Amino acid sequence: MRRTPWERLSSASLTMEVSSSEPTLVPAPVRFLFSTLLGMYVANRASDKITQLTDNVYVCRSGSAADSQVVSDYVRYFLHQHTIQLGQPATVKVSANLIRMLAYNNKNMLQTGLIVGGWDKYEGGKIYGIPLGGTVVEQPFAIGGSGSSYLYGFFDQAWKENMTKEEAEQLVVKAVSLAIARDGASGGVVRTVIINSEGVTRNFYPGDKLQLWHEELEPQNSLLDILNAAGPEPMAM
Amino acid sequence: MTKQHANWSPYDNNGGTCVAIAGSDYCVIAADTRMSTGYSILSRDYSKSIICKADKAVLSSSGFQADVKALQKVLTSRHMIYQHQHNKQMSCPAMAQLLSNTLYYKRFFPYYAFNVLGGLDEEGKGCVFTYDAVGSYEKVGYSAQGSGSTLIMPFLDNQLKSPSPLLLPAQDSITPLSEAEAVDLVKTVFASATERDIYTGDKLEIMVLKADGARREVMDLRKD
Amino acid sequence: MSQSAVDVPPKGGFSFDMCKRNDMLIQKGLKAPSFLKTGTTIVGLIFQDGVILGADTRATEGPIVADKNCEKIHYMAPNIYCCGAGTAADTEAVTDMVSSQLRLHRYQTGRDSRVITALTLLKKHLFSYQGHVSAALVLGGVDITGPHLHTIYPHGSTDTLPFATMGSGSLAAMSVFEAKYKEGLTRDEGIKLVAEAICSGIFNDLGSGSNVDICVITKGNKEYLRNYMEPNPRTYVSSKGYSFTKKTEVLLTKITPLMERVEITEVGGEAMEE
Repeated sequence: MRRTPWERLSSASLTMEVSSSEPTLVPAPVRFLFSTLLGMYVANRASDKITQLTDNVYVCRSGSAADSQVVSDYVRYFLHQHTIQLGQPATVKVSANLIRMLAYNNKNMLQTGLIVGGWDKYEGGKIYGIPLGGTVVEQPFAIGGSGSSYLYGFFDQAWKENMTKEEAEQLVVKAVSLAIARDGASGGVVRTVIINSEGVTRNFYPGDKLQLWHEELEPQNSLLDILNAAGPEPMAM
Repeated sequence: MTKQHANWSPYDNNGGTCVAIAGSDYCVIAADTRMSTGYSILSRDYSKSIICKADKAVLSSSGFQADVKALQKVLTSRHMIYQHQHNKQMSCPAMAQLLSNTLYYKRFFPYYAFNVLGGLDEEGKGCVFTYDAVGSYEKVGYSAQGSGSTLIMPFLDNQLKSPSPLLLPAQDSITPLSEAEAVDLVKTVFASATERDIYTGDKLEIMVLKADGARREVMDLRKD
Repeated sequence: MSQSAVDVPPKGGFSFDMCKRNDMLIQKGLKAPSFLKTGTTIVGLIFQDGVILGADTRATEGPIVADKNCEKIHYMAPNIYCCGAGTAADTEAVTDMVSSQLRLHRYQTGRDSRVITALTLLKKHLFSYQGHVSAALVLGGVDITGPHLHTIYPHGSTDTLPFATMGSGSLAAMSVFEAKYKEGLTRDEGIKLVAEAICSGIFNDLGSGSNVDICVITKGNKEYLRNYMEPNPRTYVSSKGYSFTKKTEVLLTKITPLMERVEITEVGGEAMEE
């Protein structure tokens, strides 16, 4: 029996990663949305959609929250076993292939798009996008989730080869903030993960400290502040 | 072929309960003041009973508030015309027939309203008329309508068992209670219905109609 | 001889034997029975030294209140409790089942249960039933790694939050938390805030009602405050009371013993063979 999509928690938001020459950035998103009878209800406004798989591999989850959590839990378990059997850290490619295996073999059951990113000693920083059916694509940057459609053009324009770690992170945070501005289902906070040969850095950007884009309003404590502020007549054409 | 608006309905149910009891020289009409939709409360102080400009008849309705309002508007204006034509107020049995006709007029797109009409007849005795949504009505001694009616009606039956309308010679359906007893009974049934019906609560509005005028009383009910 | 007279049900899991028949009956117009739903407000928050869980006590079946004072805060382990919303039978069954698994796990390991273990067992079960086991849970407890609070949705997804609400009254309760929650609340402030959130559900959501239950879990200690608040007493009691006429009447007082009417024939022992 098929599940009805409106009954399910889904993380409709932006997940993306940029692979610059060295580091892998796994930035991401934002919030969980849950459809209720009253429309859309934000079930979690500061969720963490970047999930750790191993010391050096992370994954960005989008789509059904339940499905993506189960897939990443299984893959984490497989990778731990694999690490013990191998006696050395798993590669990003192996992680991507395990996700692909689950996503492809259970494509009727799963509604989740994932992006794996990480660093290993063989190939350096790598990113794999694994969309709905279980395809795997190695990409220099990958974007996913409901907000991603707003970003393809931006990335075509802004992404450059051999960006520094700082440039790449700035790009990623800017991209997520742009998607938050346009996509109603994205919002809340921005989290990034930077993975390179030296280790992992997690960064957090609160929603009220993000850059504001075209016609975005300043964060307000009360709507009354906007109403009382002197400004153009709201209905004036 | 595609189905359009499969989930849309022109009706809503705003809940609420109405009760009326007729006595020898009085009539008690009561309703709770909660208006709700789904799991939400729209108002905690919405009066379901209206005196249709006639001093001797009170209509109390639950169901879909928009339909109830439309129905009340029709009835009020028809009563206004009646007064201009006859230079007197409508009697309660006349109002009862008018209400039936008004409801049946919309037999195939009914008013989603469940009505109890209480008042005094030409002899000054209490009378209660109870309706379905399309105009079938009956003169009874007591009645309950709305979301809590399934809980209240059996209790009233037990306490006030009315004579069968088929008995010959016809028995008077008026209850033997005193006015104070009837008001006490109404308060009890509403307090009880509020315990178990989620759409009944907040406040109870009681109207007592007598030959020398009407009295209104309000009692608190559970607010959860 | 060796054939068992009754089919022994398989160990664990649900029986789907009647699905086909029930589908056919529904197709022919039978109305499926309704379930007891706990249209509910359940909440939880993390405070200074632990976790506080809260719940209302109304259980509904459609528009009717089926239970005015039910318990929605379920025991999982001595240091872990779980609030349940959704179908009452499902929340009850799923928490009982995981609670027993946790106890066996404690016997095996000789250590206190962890909240993450309960969380994993619950989500594993709920995910495998793809949302058909409709239990929406708020799981809270204090273990060796500190206080934890999680929400679990019927499809098996989980969230980790400092304050959480679930059930039909979750929006009403969340509005209280969003306005007033801050980090490092004291025990009394925490209880007060939880009670206020539950009351907001009780009064503004028709699916929730009656009393407030609260459970405070701290390191090595817990307090289950059953009916912490009773904000909805009955509003009117008739002074005279009511009598109900006795409708059954005595028809017969003479009793005929059965023995007189039955003829008993003794049969020799040899006639009865195995």
